[in-house]
Amino acid sequence: MTSIKLENVSLIYRLFEKLTLSAPDKRKGALGGNIGRSGRTQIVQALDNVSFELKAGDRLGLVGPNGAGKTTLLKVLYGIYQPSGGAIFIKGKVDALFNINIGFRPEATGRRNIVLRGLISGWTEAEIERKMEEIIEFSELGDFIDVPFKAYSQGMAARLAFSTATALDPEILLMDEWIGAGDASFQDKAKRRMDELAEKAGIIVLASHDAALIDSFCTRKLTLRNGRVESLTEIPEAASSSSEL
Amino acid sequence: MIAAMNSAVEDISKAMRLHRVWTALAHEDIGDQHRRTTLGPLWMLVNYFAFVGTFVFVFVTKDASNPGYIAYVAIGMLVWFYLNEIIAMSVSLFQREASFIQGTTLPLFVYVMRLTMQCIIRAGYSMAGCVLILFLAGYGFAMGWLFSLPGLLLIIVATPALITVFAFVGVFFPDSEFIVGNLMRVGMFFTPVFWAYNGQGGIQKYAYHWNPFTYLLEIVREPIIKSSFPAHAFAVSSCICLCTWMIALLLLGEFRRRVVFLT
Repeated sequence: MTSIKLENVSLIYRLFEKLTLSAPDKRKGALGGNIGRSGRTQIVQALDNVSFELKAGDRLGLVGPNGAGKTTLLKVLYGIYQPSGGAIFIKGKVDALFNINIGFRPEATGRRNIVLRGLISGWTEAEIERKMEEIIEFSELGDFIDVPFKAYSQGMAARLAFSTATALDPEILLMDEWIGAGDASFQDKAKRRMDELAEKAGIIVLASHDAALIDSFCTRKLTLRNGRVESLTEIPEAASSSSEL
Repeated sequence: MIAAMNSAVEDISKAMRLHRVWTALAHEDIGDQHRRTTLGPLWMLVNYFAFVGTFVFVFVTKDASNPGYIAYVAIGMLVWFYLNEIIAMSVSLFQREASFIQGTTLPLFVYVMRLTMQCIIRAGYSMAGCVLILFLAGYGFAMGWLFSLPGLLLIIVATPALITVFAFVGVFFPDSEFIVGNLMRVGMFFTPVFWAYNGQGGIQKYAYHWNPFTYLLEIVREPIIKSSFPAHAFAVSSCICLCTWMIALLLLGEFRRRVVFLT
């Protein structure tokens, strides 16, 4: 049974002062949360005692101002960041839609890019073969699929990226903002695809600034502020209106 | 320390299972660099010929007493270009891969192997050129050549470790990209790539004996030039390889989780 359980998860990291011969600068990138000081070292408390539990069928909306820790939490759940405290228990295959353009190469054809993206996503060659025609058909690229990616219009590139990135069989799906692509007609199709994807996934965690989207799509809402959980509330009758997205 | 080693081995194991990813990406990298050119990857062969030809043309008259000079330079250049490339490209490896590191859960060693694969493919073209030069210079194939195979294999085995070490140096010390680049440019003149050491004293003596690159060059070159197995150079190179791997495993195990915050 798909599930996610976080117990007092914290993420603290040092703001590494890279060794450099140049004068000290102020270009210190923070993930969010509180920036503190421990001796001479600056530390960031990106997540602080975050606890919640999700079971199959849950759709969790992550909300909060910029720097609250939404994306950080998604990356912790995906395994990009290792928490510095607490425990995470995840049952189910986790897929993420953070940057749908990642791994696309301008010189390669659309078809080759599907293969590369599939390999990066951990698909087997058989899975890539199986999904290939479906992705091409969904992207509506036709003969352009064998043309280098750099020759695509912005819309075509977005359609290929979207079609490939969403050709998943997720048990747990993590999304940083809702993904849309292409022209108006493709947008409708993309919305339906996202709905199907959400239906297939046991659990969805969606970070967004769009309060209406969260209220209409999610069943629960987690509000983060400075890396801490401010509130975790149930959203009544959420899924019923998801098709209106 | 054991925990760090285990962590490194875990990363490496995962990366090796994803061999299709780094093989495909490396081939794409090579293809992209030459996609619009007429000669394609053969340009790597031309570059190699140009360099070796220049050095032979400039120095062969000076060292005409040494009939094996062409082979000496050809093999020296082959190994030096390979080592120079892996080191120079390693220092900026994690910065170049930042979008992948911050957006996927691919193990860090995937990027190391991607670069390893790229460098081996490029060296393959240079090696074809080197063999051609050897034949043109009148070197027929001899069984002694086979002694250079363990040397080549040792360099290939050391490659991911060297890349890992320099990639971590680069991510913690960004200036190293330029420092290492300059050192490698200068290093070519302090390494017996195109000059031969004949027991002379002075700076050449130290540049020969205390330079790790000397031994990495000799394990490939000596078997072809002298038809003998370079036992001493092979032993030193094995130690270099082992030490580099130890450092690489420690760095990978200890710092791999922190790289995402540094890129």
